[in-house]
Amino acid sequence: MSIFEGVNWLQLLVTAIAMGCIYSLIATEYTLIYNATGLVNFAHESFIVLGAYIFAGTFERALQFPHWLAIALTLVSMAAFGVLVASTILNPLRNLQFVTYAMFGTMMLSRIIIEICRLSWGSLPFTVKGFLRESINIGSTVLSESYIYIIVISIIVISLLQAFFKLTKAGKAMICVSQNKDAAALMGINVSASINLTVAISSIICGIIGILCAPLYNVSSNMVTSAATKGFCAGVIGGFGSYPGAIIGGILIGLIEQFGIIFIPSVWKDALSFGLMIIFLLIRPGGIIKRKKA
Amino acid sequence: MKKKYWLILLVSAVIVVAYVLLFMTSNSYIQSVMNMLLYNIVLVLGLNFITGLTGQMNMATAGMMALGAYSFAIADTSYNVNPWLSLLMVLALGLVIGRALGYPSLRLQGFFLSLTTIGFNEVVRITVNNLTDITGGATGYKDVRRLPFFFQFPDKNSYFYLNLIFTLIMIAIAVLVVNSKWGRAYKSIRDNYEAAEATGIDIAKLKIQAFTLAAVYSVVAGVMYAGYSQYLNPTAFATSYSQNYVAMLMVGGIGSVPGNILGATLVTVLPEVLRAFQNYYWVMFCTICLLMAIFVPDGLWSLLQKAIRFVQKKLNRNKEVA
Repeated sequence: MSIFEGVNWLQLLVTAIAMGCIYSLIATEYTLIYNATGLVNFAHESFIVLGAYIFAGTFERALQFPHWLAIALTLVSMAAFGVLVASTILNPLRNLQFVTYAMFGTMMLSRIIIEICRLSWGSLPFTVKGFLRESINIGSTVLSESYIYIIVISIIVISLLQAFFKLTKAGKAMICVSQNKDAAALMGINVSASINLTVAISSIICGIIGILCAPLYNVSSNMVTSAATKGFCAGVIGGFGSYPGAIIGGILIGLIEQFGIIFIPSVWKDALSFGLMIIFLLIRPGGIIKRKKA
Repeated sequence: MKKKYWLILLVSAVIVVAYVLLFMTSNSYIQSVMNMLLYNIVLVLGLNFITGLTGQMNMATAGMMALGAYSFAIADTSYNVNPWLSLLMVLALGLVIGRALGYPSLRLQGFFLSLTTIGFNEVVRITVNNLTDITGGATGYKDVRRLPFFFQFPDKNSYFYLNLIFTLIMIAIAVLVVNSKWGRAYKSIRDNYEAAEATGIDIAKLKIQAFTLAAVYSVVAGVMYAGYSQYLNPTAFATSYSQNYVAMLMVGGIGSVPGNILGATLVTVLPEVLRAFQNYYWVMFCTICLLMAIFVPDGLWSLLQKAIRFVQKKLNRNKEVA
């Protein structure tokens, strides 16, 4: 049992769940857009990067606002950005003839946003000083403060989102739109406004992910490339289009990749989640929680 | 009709001769760009079968190219197999990859398939990066032995001529396939799945066939790349490169060989031409691509064709009036 020697289970577990929460949030964020528009937003990575840059580059470094104000302003700007993208780009893409064209469109959107980030904030990676950089000691275990925050904030975000769907009229309207656009329009729901709101919420979640990832990775244009792709894996494994599925898939990927490195060299951990996704796509394309057809 | 074919052949011959002349008179930097254009054309032609004609998003082009390039290099250089025999082995590998990737496409559609291919691309890149003993890992694979030709290639750039011959052969095959019964059947799968099936088209067989063609084209491009640069590095096969090939396909024209060549040329050559805009080039280019995806989804070639048809109509009308 030599491979289990020196393994700090608590630390591993917290890291796994924290990374799993990031993947769950990513999966939730693009599932929102997928349910509302039928488009898979390949630009979601760039939304997250943009959120991180607005937070760290503009509000923290350039303007030196206090953290809470910086976070609030970032989320507001991300919401505005979401409405802008939804009305100018996602709407025309949604109506194209082939889904491949729309996918290509979102890929190009992603590159544009990343380039704009590089041009406006420079290509050198930077860090946010004094933001979630502390660590907590429990016995011999050293836990990074940011992991605890990630777990807590993810739980809050996901519960708020569920409450929004269950309790508010706008949330219920969103579910109607994702189930049947024509019927929703007949019931008097403004479909394009509802889509704008959905994309705005998705962008806010992207902003939150960006802020949470800022202490984990340095802020740079490719800071979340692998996390964003693993978010896709999480969605597929959990069940594409379902919110519980996104959460289960995310946590599962987090656990598998963190505990997997006990058994295999850590350089292979990215291949592990992609391999798992391909196996799931081949054997059970619906994922763990199959979404009921509307 | 015969006259039209001769005209097309003549125009192509002029283009090839002009290309060779341009190559001979250029400096070695432009020569390497011109060579890059050749394997980009082959890649886009391959991608055209699957994404352009059959309408299945394939984001594994760079990964398939990596498999071709590395397996050629390993068979040829590490194990000292005869180079032409290694080329044959790589072609066989292309058939296997095509089958392996084509099979999921029977069950998966749209973005699920594109996620599978992204996953495949990443797994290939990570594997190549980590099998340090065989592939050289992140430091790369050096000194790939080249295919011998009628003469040995003393100079790096003269290998271009062999690549040019490969490209011409691949273009010829692509023209034949696109304009054949196969090509039309592929298009029918993209345009109307159910109608195609109802007319008795074996969709499963054709999809796998299209994937196999794409894989074979990609591994050939990989061999061309390995032979010219003689140095392989996993960073050259990242998923973002696969996106570049899709961009070439979309910009030029989906489904038509001249459109593919046009797109590959534009996307490869424009960065070199627009050095003046350097910082803003990429953002401009991507914006144009996005606008094209929204307004001209069929690519530049379809615009050109429309223009030609418009002019022809005008001319015919003038004739009738006269």
